[in-house]
Amino acid sequence: MKFLDQPPRFLFFTGKGGVGKTSIACATAIQLAEAGRRVLLVSTDPASNVGQVFGVDIGNRIVALTAVNNLSALEIDPQAAAQAYRDRIVGPVRGVLPETVVKGIEEQLSGACTTEIAAFDEFTALLTDSPLTVDFEHIVFDTAPTGHTIRLLQLPGAWSGFLDEGKGDASCLGPLAGLEKQRTQYKAAVDALADPQRTRLILVARAQQATLREVARTHEELAAIGLNRQFLVINGVLPAGEAASDALAAAILAREQAALAHIPEVLKALPTDRIELKSFNLVGLPALKQLLGAANTPLPASAETQAVLSAPNLAALVDEIADDGHGLLMLMGKGGVGKTTLAAALAVELASRGLPVHLTTSDPAAHLTETLAGDLEHLTVSRIDPQAETERYRQQVLASKGAGLDAQGRALLEEDLRSPCTEEIAVFQAFSRVIREAGHKFVVMDTAPTGHTLLLLDATGAYHREISRQMSGKDLHFTTPMMQLQDSKQTKVLLVTLAETTPVLEAANLQSDLRRAGIEPWAWVINNSVAATPVHSPLLRQRAKNELREIDAVATRHATRYAVVPLLAEEPIGTARLRQLAEGLSA
Amino acid sequence: MTNIQVFDPALCCSTGVCGVDVDQQLVSFSADIDWAKQNGAQIERFNLAQQPMAFAENAAVKKFLELSGAEGLPVILVNGDIALTGRYPQRAELARWAGISATQEASPPAGKCGCSGKSC
Repeated sequence: MKFLDQPPRFLFFTGKGGVGKTSIACATAIQLAEAGRRVLLVSTDPASNVGQVFGVDIGNRIVALTAVNNLSALEIDPQAAAQAYRDRIVGPVRGVLPETVVKGIEEQLSGACTTEIAAFDEFTALLTDSPLTVDFEHIVFDTAPTGHTIRLLQLPGAWSGFLDEGKGDASCLGPLAGLEKQRTQYKAAVDALADPQRTRLILVARAQQATLREVARTHEELAAIGLNRQFLVINGVLPAGEAASDALAAAILAREQAALAHIPEVLKALPTDRIELKSFNLVGLPALKQLLGAANTPLPASAETQAVLSAPNLAALVDEIADDGHGLLMLMGKGGVGKTTLAAALAVELASRGLPVHLTTSDPAAHLTETLAGDLEHLTVSRIDPQAETERYRQQVLASKGAGLDAQGRALLEEDLRSPCTEEIAVFQAFSRVIREAGHKFVVMDTAPTGHTLLLLDATGAYHREISRQMSGKDLHFTTPMMQLQDSKQTKVLLVTLAETTPVLEAANLQSDLRRAGIEPWAWVINNSVAATPVHSPLLRQRAKNELREIDAVATRHATRYAVVPLLAEEPIGTARLRQLAEGLSA
Repeated sequence: MTNIQVFDPALCCSTGVCGVDVDQQLVSFSADIDWAKQNGAQIERFNLAQQPMAFAENAAVKKFLELSGAEGLPVILVNGDIALTGRYPQRAELARWAGISATQEASPPAGKCGCSGKSC
């Protein structure tokens, strides 16, 4: 593996949830330790099984692992870090200010940005010279801070008059308000990150077009702030041998090879390793030792097909949705789980029942929605461009607010406007123009704001509710946009996920976030399931088997209703194939 | 000298960038504060999400929060007394409190529509 060649002191693995960062970080730490180096493994994975792998409870302290010589580990729980961070700010006024006021402040500090900054706060001590880490030759992290966080910490304007003087500033310091350490320590940490002698960043991806595009963006963003020494690992590549035994495997292989052949230009120059999809579960020490090693011992092929999972399909959900005659459907989930495709499948299924549907998507490629235009009588399709909408929003804010700011303030405002929340707000604003149509037809959207954003947006809604409460005796009808979203007769949120550990966990987090805003997700949809389709390939059969545990967790623990959508051999483009998605293959 | 204190609601930023809409009131008010400060006014701002202790430690503001909740913010104190609640002051009001004379009072910057809130 190239990324293991002459490694510097700090190794960071980054990539979206479910690509295998934690497994690769574990395997790397084990390999370095077995080569005689003293290694510290730092995991921030909320689904971390690091403790389980090594047979010890780890938690938020450095623990020497007996199972592997020279190896110690530390687990950072980003949610717990964020909670501790909130407590520092909110703690002193709890019980002093009214309960509702305290809750409002807590919500302000419950976004993704705060979690990130809080986790980085915990990293800082590990990156700077500290007696805790002086004995370790390598520190391996299974995550990396985002460009937004690093840039924010680099901006002088973010600090002036805040930590130094302990006073607030006129601009957006929300996420930084609870930072404990001295500014010099953050600077030292950021410097360590940007120093190629000390730090190597390893981008982890899958052989999928969308994932590679996302990794290319991460690469450019982090390279721009000085993290130049980057490597690329493509994990879970299907071995060519699998294609011989079945059609679905052959289709996946072809799709993966095409994605690799058309890898974004900026990634081509990076030293790249490929790790084949393994036939074994990446649980336990022996399995992890083999991850970076030689090829698979091939599993015996089987002429038999495994029993196709019998689970509710999308069409069954649509039956229930159709009964209402109109309403808003929002699909929510992390990037790459197939929200746009499923939104299109739902829209087609509803329209084919003669119901009026408006499908509106943020599909960047637009090819999916274009193939639908004019296809079905009751279906209208529109599209917004998230990048263009975000840019327009940014320009609008900069033109109005930026005009009155000095250079530092303006730089800070520009960085605020690059936060993930900004994009979410800009996109939701664009979508909200069609939402009112949901009173007389179905509106299907492939995105939804998080509960956190909704709560912030509802600051005025709370006021409206208060008025409506006071007026309730006078028989007045009063609804706020938030109340509309909370009513499942008017709005249904469908959580989209994959039948893998981390994606299911991420969806569960989105669900609890929505619940905080009083919105109960109406259903879960598990996309790209191999278990829901007949396969012969031994590797795919293994994957199907692994999926069952996750599907069961969704069915029994997370969802009130759910549907499983099979992985198709061909891209689900056009009306016929989208309907195939909804009906399932077993039907 | 007159001391003006502004207690903002829990905006993640006092520019209001993170709200559903960039609140024109906030944008204009930030500009008005700059203007008043340049004319010698003494103005402090506190954000509920960042400096909740400032709210807890001020008896008048604490009492106001108990009665009206965070929805009633902002609160503007002039020399410690509540002068305005529920909206941001106009430039003329700031000028009157701070004793800035009419001759110094420039017209509001161009491009601001002057209407309130999100209905621009």
